[in-house]
Amino acid sequence: MNIVSGEQIAKTFQVGKEQHPVLLDVSVAINQGEFISIMGPSGCGKSTLLYALSGMDSIDQGQVIFDGMDLTTLSDKELADLRRTKMGFVFQQPTFLKSLNILDNILLPAMRDGRKNVRALTERALQIMNKMGIADLAKRDITQVSGGQLQRAGICRALISNPQVIFGDEPTGALNSTSAQEIMDLLASINSEGTTVMLVTHDPKIAARTERILFMSDGAIVNELRLPRFTGADLDDRMVKVVSTMQKIGI
Amino acid sequence: MYWKIVRNDMANSKLITGMTMLFVAVAALLVTLSAVLIVHLTSAIDTLMKQAETSHFLQMHAGEIDQVRLTEFAEQNKYVDEYQMNEFLNVEGTKINIAGTTLAHSVQDNGFSTQSEKFDYLLDLDGHVIEVANGDIYVPVSYWKDGIADLGDTVIVQDQTFTIAGFLRDSQMNSMLASSKRFLVSEQDYAAIQEAGTVEYLIEFRLKNLADLKNFEEAYTSAGLEANGPTITYKLFQMLNAISDGLMIAVILLISVLVVAIAFMCIRFTLLTKIEEDTREIGVMKAIGLRVADIQKMYLAKYGVIAVIGCMLGFACSFFLRDILLENIRLFMGETDKVSLIWLFTGLGLLLVFIVIMGYVQSVLKQFRKLSATQALRFGTMQGKGQHAKLLNLSANKRLPINLFLGIKDVLSRKTLYATMLAVLVLATFIIIVPQNLHNTIAAKSFITYMGIGNSDIRIDIPQGKQNEQQVSAVMDRLEHDTAIKNYTVLTTKKFTTIAEDGTAQNLKIELGDHTIFPLEYAHGEAPVAPNEVALSVLNAEELQKKVGDSLAVVINGQKKNLRISGIYSDITNGGKTAKAAFSDHSTDSMWSVVYSTMADPSLVADKRAEYAKTFSFAKVSGIDDYIYQTFGTTIHAIEKAARAALVIALLLCVLVTLLFMNMLIAKDQAPIAIMKALGFTNVDIATQYAARSIFVLLLAISMGTLLANTLGEYLTSTVIASFGAASFDFMINPLAAYVFCPLALTSVVLLATLFGTSRAGQVKIIEHIKE
Ligand SMILES: Nc1ncnc2c1ncn2[C@@H]1O[C@H](COP(=O)(O)OP(=O)(O)O)[C@@H](O)[C@H]1O
Ligand SMILES: [Mg+2]
Repeated sequence: MNIVSGEQIAKTFQVGKEQHPVLLDVSVAINQGEFISIMGPSGCGKSTLLYALSGMDSIDQGQVIFDGMDLTTLSDKELADLRRTKMGFVFQQPTFLKSLNILDNILLPAMRDGRKNVRALTERALQIMNKMGIADLAKRDITQVSGGQLQRAGICRALISNPQVIFGDEPTGALNSTSAQEIMDLLASINSEGTTVMLVTHDPKIAARTERILFMSDGAIVNELRLPRFTGADLDDRMVKVVSTMQKIGI
Repeated sequence: MYWKIVRNDMANSKLITGMTMLFVAVAALLVTLSAVLIVHLTSAIDTLMKQAETSHFLQMHAGEIDQVRLTEFAEQNKYVDEYQMNEFLNVEGTKINIAGTTLAHSVQDNGFSTQSEKFDYLLDLDGHVIEVANGDIYVPVSYWKDGIADLGDTVIVQDQTFTIAGFLRDSQMNSMLASSKRFLVSEQDYAAIQEAGTVEYLIEFRLKNLADLKNFEEAYTSAGLEANGPTITYKLFQMLNAISDGLMIAVILLISVLVVAIAFMCIRFTLLTKIEEDTREIGVMKAIGLRVADIQKMYLAKYGVIAVIGCMLGFACSFFLRDILLENIRLFMGETDKVSLIWLFTGLGLLLVFIVIMGYVQSVLKQFRKLSATQALRFGTMQGKGQHAKLLNLSANKRLPINLFLGIKDVLSRKTLYATMLAVLVLATFIIIVPQNLHNTIAAKSFITYMGIGNSDIRIDIPQGKQNEQQVSAVMDRLEHDTAIKNYTVLTTKKFTTIAEDGTAQNLKIELGDHTIFPLEYAHGEAPVAPNEVALSVLNAEELQKKVGDSLAVVINGQKKNLRISGIYSDITNGGKTAKAAFSDHSTDSMWSVVYSTMADPSLVADKRAEYAKTFSFAKVSGIDDYIYQTFGTTIHAIEKAARAALVIALLLCVLVTLLFMNMLIAKDQAPIAIMKALGFTNVDIATQYAARSIFVLLLAISMGTLLANTLGEYLTSTVIASFGAASFDFMINPLAAYVFCPLALTSVVLLATLFGTSRAGQVKIIEHIKE
């Protein structure tokens, strides 16, 4: 069953008087439980597509269906409710509130509705943090931990409300490659528990960890590659496939 | 080059620049107004008293008078320049009919006079000595202002009809605080109405040298001359003339100081935010070798321009307001001739505002020096890492709704940032509450107890005279058997002689009776109870150099007795020099008596007063409310005006500051707002958080401001009030106004401004701030 699907999405940015078409009739369908990545050169419209599919940004034409709802017909408030309860986001740059510590930042999205069972939520947050390997950082300031640790905290925050889909916009973009692979390990394990994970990346090594890769170029999806579940030893193999597809379509 | 940078900078931050300029302008406006008012008031009083040639020493006297003895004294006393004796025909209010209504309700001692011969002239509104024709009458200007009399109206006294030919300024009795009011008629008319009232004498002296006043007073007293009535000196005339408007000026000055403080805080906030924003640029400038002094010069230039324009704006606006504020002074005191002095003071005031602002900017700019180029370039900020309130944790929060929690947490985390807004709101609360409490205090019935008058419902003044004793017993008899009267007391004033340590004698009027029934507020000590106790008014205590517990030698019934000073109280009645004691005396005649009474049912006071006024035609019967209104009316009114202006100004300031603050906050908070929205917080959530911040800061500010108002504010106000005679003083707080209305008004205004100021918060585009 499709959890997210886009039908002929078109979006144009206007800069001054000039029109910049960024998405041209993009259609995409993502099944529940998929581990999927959007791959393409910088500026081809990957992020724009991701934000369109998550209802964070509006589109000019087409339709986005999320969990059976047409996002283009929802109000700001309904979209916010949806983001809070059914979606999780991981961004490239740390996006945390400076005035809250790590644990509170992770709890933040869930606390809006779940103030009454704060104890259970804290318990859950600590569990997730434990799994992500940052349990001992709970009380730290966000300025007192490393970039990799912050990104793990970001994943914890994305998971706190037990979302159906996790969207990641270059979640490893600011990390060195060892940290990046560790993050991908975590995302893969989350996916293996049933959560749909959708990433945007320009890094073939990251895309190669996912099981379905959409290749974008100049605002359109130009190719698609499906890979089997990652075993832990077949990274080089997968890389070759990704890179050769890229060469084939000329990106 | 600086000019160009400054111009660009201002164009880029129109709102903030405009706001800062506005505060500077308001400060300049108020300082200018105070300067104008002070110069105008003092010089107009000066001119008035010069033109009128006000008496240096006035002794009012009722009863027998030995003119020969007085003239002799005046001729022989070396201090006296000129002496005259004026008559004042005291006529009951019921017998004076102005344009169809009588002055029955007036608590003033209304009476008629002819123009003085040598000095103490009654002036027309152009400052000329009035020459009044037969059949014409000049009426005190206050009756014109109160709408009681108008030009051409008829005044009827004892079948004599007069036409109001004009209004007069009386340099001695203009003020409502001076209880007598002189109407001016011609000599011939004066003679015709003799029968309408009783004559009081104004024994007046001008001295060769005002500095000798004290010596002269002593000489007059020790000569045992006529002294049955209040004694008033030049100084007291000056003060009486200055009080009402002086108080208004004091309030305006107070507000202007606070506005300057608010302007400071705005500058601090904008400048620090600007520095924070510009840190990177400043770092670059430093890195490319511009010197700190150059950067400072640039900002100084910017604020120099703002301050100059602000000052000019404030100055310009002062022209629209000064006429309204000067109205009263012009009417009672006349024009000023010190135009150049006004310009000078205005210029000095504006210069002061300018210097203070630039000095402040300079001191804030000192922070630039501490900033190193690398720090600025690397971090783009001067502050270290985000310090936050460790105590408040989301994981430990069950009670507060999340948006409230986040709002409060943010305030606590960025204390220095919110300190600005807090301080402004504290000051706003302060300037709303203090004038209001002051007004409330002065308007309150019990305030007169600070002024030497017992708090009662009805006051009956029985004048001196042969029948005084019978009249007093008649009144007492009536009150005793009137069931509507709850309690009453008779206080009789008699004249005694005190003997100082060095043997010199001095007159002292002592009010005898039970002073515990309608007690005064005592500045020190308490009311006299035992026969050997006496209480002195502040002025008398100062003059006799006595403190509570000291003893005072008084001649009673031919014998010298030592009385203990039981208390000292403030007094504005009878020239401020009074005394009170509880001993009984039958050795001397009484000068006058006052009967105070309260009623079981206060709603019947007006009827009862009218009834007594009819029955006791020999006495002056007044309700204390009327008494307060007519005595302090002008003052109360001036303070009420000031309090209202303060309220409006403070609320306006709150709106401006909140708008300004919220705008800057939103500009600063784009990133966290985008994060929250991305995480699923709705626009309503964000707005609620900002409202929570505002309200949290506001509640804090209201509590602090109220506390400050009731401590520092009370102290400041009592200092002001002490200057016109009341030595000790407590705020009378109207809880509804101070604790309900004021917070409510502030809250709604701040909340509205917050909602308006943060309406942009919802428009923050998530993707613009977090998309890679
Ligand atoms: N808010 C915007 N306004 C104007 N142009 C934009 C905006 N966001 C993105 N673009 C343009 O749209 C194109 C696609 O952007 P984006 O989706 O961020 O690319 P990617 O994530 O693939 O690097 C780019 O050319 C970018 O310059
Ligand atoms: Mg991108």
